[in-house]
Amino acid sequence: MGRIIRHVILGFALLLAVSIAFTPSAQAAKEVKIGFSMALTGPLGPAGKAALLAMQIWRDDVNAKGGLLGRKVKLVYYDDQTKPANVPGIYAKLLDVDKVDFIVSGYGTNLIVPALPIAMERGMVFMGLFGLDANAKFKYNNYFQIMPAGPDPIVDWSRGFFELAAKQKPRPKTIALLSADAEFARNAVAGARRNAKKYGFKIVYDKRYPFPGTSDFTPILRAVKATNPDLFYVGSYPGGSVGIVKAAHEIKLEPKLFGGGMVGLQYTAIQMNLGKLLNGITDYWFWAPEKTLKFPGIEAFLAKYQKEAPKQKLDPLGYYLPPFAYAYVQLLGNAIEATKSFDQAKIGAYIRNNTHSTVVGNVKFGKNGEWATSRTFQVQLQNITSNKMSEFSKAGKMVVVYPEEFKSGELIYPYAKGK
Amino acid sequence: MSKERKLFLIVAAVLIVGAFLITTQMENRFYYKAAYVVLQYVVLATAWNILGGYTGYVNFGTAGFFAMGAYTAVALIKTWKPPLYLLLVMGGLVSGLLGLGIGYLTLRLKGVFFSIATLALAVVLQMLISNWSYVGGGAGTAILKPRSVPLFSNYDEFLFFVMASIAVISVAVAWLIEKSWVGRGMAAIRDNEEAAECMGVPILKLKLFATTVSGALMGIAGAPFSYFVVYIEPTSAFHLDYAVNSLAMPMIGGTTTWLGPLVGAVLVGTAQQIATVTLSSEMNLLIVGSLLVGFVVFAPDGLVGLFGKIRARLAGREA
Repeated sequence: MGRIIRHVILGFALLLAVSIAFTPSAQAAKEVKIGFSMALTGPLGPAGKAALLAMQIWRDDVNAKGGLLGRKVKLVYYDDQTKPANVPGIYAKLLDVDKVDFIVSGYGTNLIVPALPIAMERGMVFMGLFGLDANAKFKYNNYFQIMPAGPDPIVDWSRGFFELAAKQKPRPKTIALLSADAEFARNAVAGARRNAKKYGFKIVYDKRYPFPGTSDFTPILRAVKATNPDLFYVGSYPGGSVGIVKAAHEIKLEPKLFGGGMVGLQYTAIQMNLGKLLNGITDYWFWAPEKTLKFPGIEAFLAKYQKEAPKQKLDPLGYYLPPFAYAYVQLLGNAIEATKSFDQAKIGAYIRNNTHSTVVGNVKFGKNGEWATSRTFQVQLQNITSNKMSEFSKAGKMVVVYPEEFKSGELIYPYAKGK
Repeated sequence: MSKERKLFLIVAAVLIVGAFLITTQMENRFYYKAAYVVLQYVVLATAWNILGGYTGYVNFGTAGFFAMGAYTAVALIKTWKPPLYLLLVMGGLVSGLLGLGIGYLTLRLKGVFFSIATLALAVVLQMLISNWSYVGGGAGTAILKPRSVPLFSNYDEFLFFVMASIAVISVAVAWLIEKSWVGRGMAAIRDNEEAAECMGVPILKLKLFATTVSGALMGIAGAPFSYFVVYIEPTSAFHLDYAVNSLAMPMIGGTTTWLGPLVGAVLVGTAQQIATVTLSSEMNLLIVGSLLVGFVVFAPDGLVGLFGKIRARLAGREA
């Protein structure tokens, strides 16, 4: 018995020694270390890798100019495997073992929230990458989220879709809502439900489909078609978005406005898969190669990204997430330069109180660290004639129809006319 | 009480006190968080082994029992925020009762059919939780952990201490079962159920006891999960990792003794924690997969069995 316990204790000691041996030694003090977890494997792996490449491009850009306040930037990151349970340990390692100077979030709400209390406890600035209302409960004043969903993200997400619908003549009257049974899609459709009430559209269909696990959308869309809605708002993930678009064409479902919260239609691979089937769909968008969206630095960044992305087998055009992944570290770097300080409180106050010029445009933060005003574009896919990649890198294909300020073309209404 | 039992319980008490003393000496939170995950797997592997190792009924539904503990805690936190010890009790109770109910319904099934039923249980529970909006549904919910806790300088240290205590108690429970007539009865069921029944072993009662205790321990391990991860949603709470690891760890350590799951969980859990922050995460899965295949092929009795064989061979050579 005693021998067994001795062996167990010896085993613990050995494992501790191994873990210490694997711990990197103290790094050169002159580097500014920015630590984060990123989904490099798991369901969000492909997008996470693209975000990482964007951040590495920013690091190289900054270091080529001499670093931040004369110190070179080093990114310290670990793969969270798209598992929220890995995030607390990773951030504790970054702060207590790697001794990073700054932390930024991984990709997505589920992977941001587990790190938020850690940033709060340490009083650190925490930049978020595509979290949907992640700070709603914590209300941490040094959290800043780069996705332009707006101060009330759940409602603002679909506001543009409904404003567009409300302007059409004759005014549409009914709407069908369909959502994947998971976090983002349910939130997007919950916001759409509130907007439908606000704008006075009658909800004639409001259902969820199992996610993951639904591959044939034909029966679901037949049920939608039976209600003959004027508008069809969908909250879906990439696989479902493809299935829904194909099924809608198969059964000739032709509402007057179709789309809204379909994730995936912004990805080049899916655009190339669907090609002409995308014509007429109006969906949320964050950036497109339109003349109204030529923010300073975006083209230089995309040129670097598009050169490297094919080698790493990432989204070759990178219009969706990569510009924002570049921008959230760019914004942090700019704040460090502007305050001439590494003091977290000063940097937090600077980010909170100023408007920031980034590759994704001017950013001003408001309530809970979300954008002060929503800038979620509604884009209508128009004039797509083939499945080639070059089709989607040109202006005039992903036409910004909302908001007015960034409008690059007119909405083709009804949807059937734009097909 | 036998001398061996006294010594075991003293060691268990010393380990719990030791865990508390560590929190007064060490500040690095990474080690607490990493240790929490390893200790959580000690509990899950030990719990799995009570049914899978001692009794021979392979449970693929660990994630279901674990998540039920976690979501019981979430429901209670959302209702009236009780103290953590009550969450542990309630998490254990709900998962224990679930184990009892499932045991009653499925223990007439044997072998692979029982395993499929437990896997289905986890899927059904995940669907139920995904549609229960009070606990966040499919979208998940953020849980605010208490800002401070008496005797500990932060909540991470407290959670580490709690999970260390649960791990010690779980191993103690497994040890007590193994050394009692209950453990011998379970071993008889594992070796030959019909023969055991003929010899008067109360097989239904023992199997129900095993599913209940196993489920309860998994539920207790899940109860503090929402405070650890802060944001809980069904995909992560019902993650297949829990089922795979809680099965692989006893297989690697050895399924027939209390020591096997402990050794397997510490070894594989620590390797996974190191791999997460050193190697790529594909390596993480590769480690578990390779170890599992290697042990099943070359050392089916696990590390404990392997050491036993080596020791017996050395003893034979000396003789």
